[in-house]
Amino acid sequence: MTDDVSSAKDERYSRQTRFAELGKEGQKRLADARVAIVGCGALGSTQAELLARAGVGAIRVIDRDYVEVSNLQRQMLFDEQDVRDSCPKAIAAARRLKAINSTIKVESSVADLRPGNAYDLLGDVELIMDGTDNFETRFLVNDLAVKRGIPWVYGAAVGSYGITMTIFPGQTCCLRCILPDPPGGVQPTCEIAGVLGPVTTAISALQSADALRILCGHAALIKPLLTTIDVWSGDLLQGEAPPRNPNCPVCGRKEFNYLEGQARTPISLCGRNAVQISERTTPIDLKALGKQLASVGEVKVNEFVLRAHIGEFDITVFPDARAIIKGTSDPVVARSIYAKYIGI
Amino acid sequence: MKISVKLFAYYRTGRFSAATKEYPPNTCVRDVLRHLQIPEKDLGIVLINGRFVELEQTLKEGDELSLFPMVGGG
Repeated sequence: MTDDVSSAKDERYSRQTRFAELGKEGQKRLADARVAIVGCGALGSTQAELLARAGVGAIRVIDRDYVEVSNLQRQMLFDEQDVRDSCPKAIAAARRLKAINSTIKVESSVADLRPGNAYDLLGDVELIMDGTDNFETRFLVNDLAVKRGIPWVYGAAVGSYGITMTIFPGQTCCLRCILPDPPGGVQPTCEIAGVLGPVTTAISALQSADALRILCGHAALIKPLLTTIDVWSGDLLQGEAPPRNPNCPVCGRKEFNYLEGQARTPISLCGRNAVQISERTTPIDLKALGKQLASVGEVKVNEFVLRAHIGEFDITVFPDARAIIKGTSDPVVARSIYAKYIGI
Repeated sequence: MKISVKLFAYYRTGRFSAATKEYPPNTCVRDVLRHLQIPEKDLGIVLINGRFVELEQTLKEGDELSLFPMVGGG
């Protein structure tokens, strides 16, 4: 539908095009740009909102989770109704983004980024934004980005601390130049150490600023720097990013283990005592499954998600047959529950 | 020699945010990590006076050493 608001394109972006470095030419480039946002939690939802408001022409939001009440403190695109509806984040985000800017194209993908869908979801974009919450997905993004030569903007936060760095494959270091393997030991997660809204917002604002510069054709302005912020202690620090590592498994030796699926394991979600499993490659009929499970537990189902409380477990199933089993951190137990109630 | 050490994110837990530490001459970054019990595998970035360095880098009097983990949340 076109009305006075949606057709007032010049006026909509006037405060941004009057910023001479971006200008009308930059705005045109933004309108033609295609971006993927991987993960729509605190980082991803702020990135999505900033890029949608700025007029980035096509935004694909990829997220595997649904909105929970503990998200509302920092995840800007969601509200209480999304929690009541158990709405998938990608769907809720797309709805909100279209309400903010109906002139752009927003695609939502309720999916776990994995080797089997990474080319489809990321292969056609010119920039990838990191809004994910785990290293395994970031390593997969890094593999795909390096293989296809797509820039991506790493960002992460926990507690009051956040970090960001923009990666230009073949020019700057990649994530695996710094971290050849996922960090060992017990890593603090947002569930355990908490996380403050101001730090995720600050990091995603910096990520989005780099996105605008890249998409407007000003990537050369981005210095190879790593930026860290601690919004509680007040420390802001920028340091030189490392140079490319000739022994880097990805951009040096061209080994794409995460993209080729050799490194994939069930993901233990962010300290939630939950395991995600995708044992099947065929989609699942949620309503039929709901009927089946109604005899053994409490079931809520809509077209996007099924939630069942069975014994000590909360099981969430998505149409792509992916399930999140809450109540265990043991993949073996989770597989067994999956096999028992969903079927492999 | 006196080295100003700055820690970030969860490296601060049970340690400190910023402190001046005394180390013998020829101390390298790896020695400091060992002293602070920070596993190398967890390490993200090391900067001396704002510039990226490797773990073998030797420190000198008055250097500011910053240690950052790479965090995964979001």
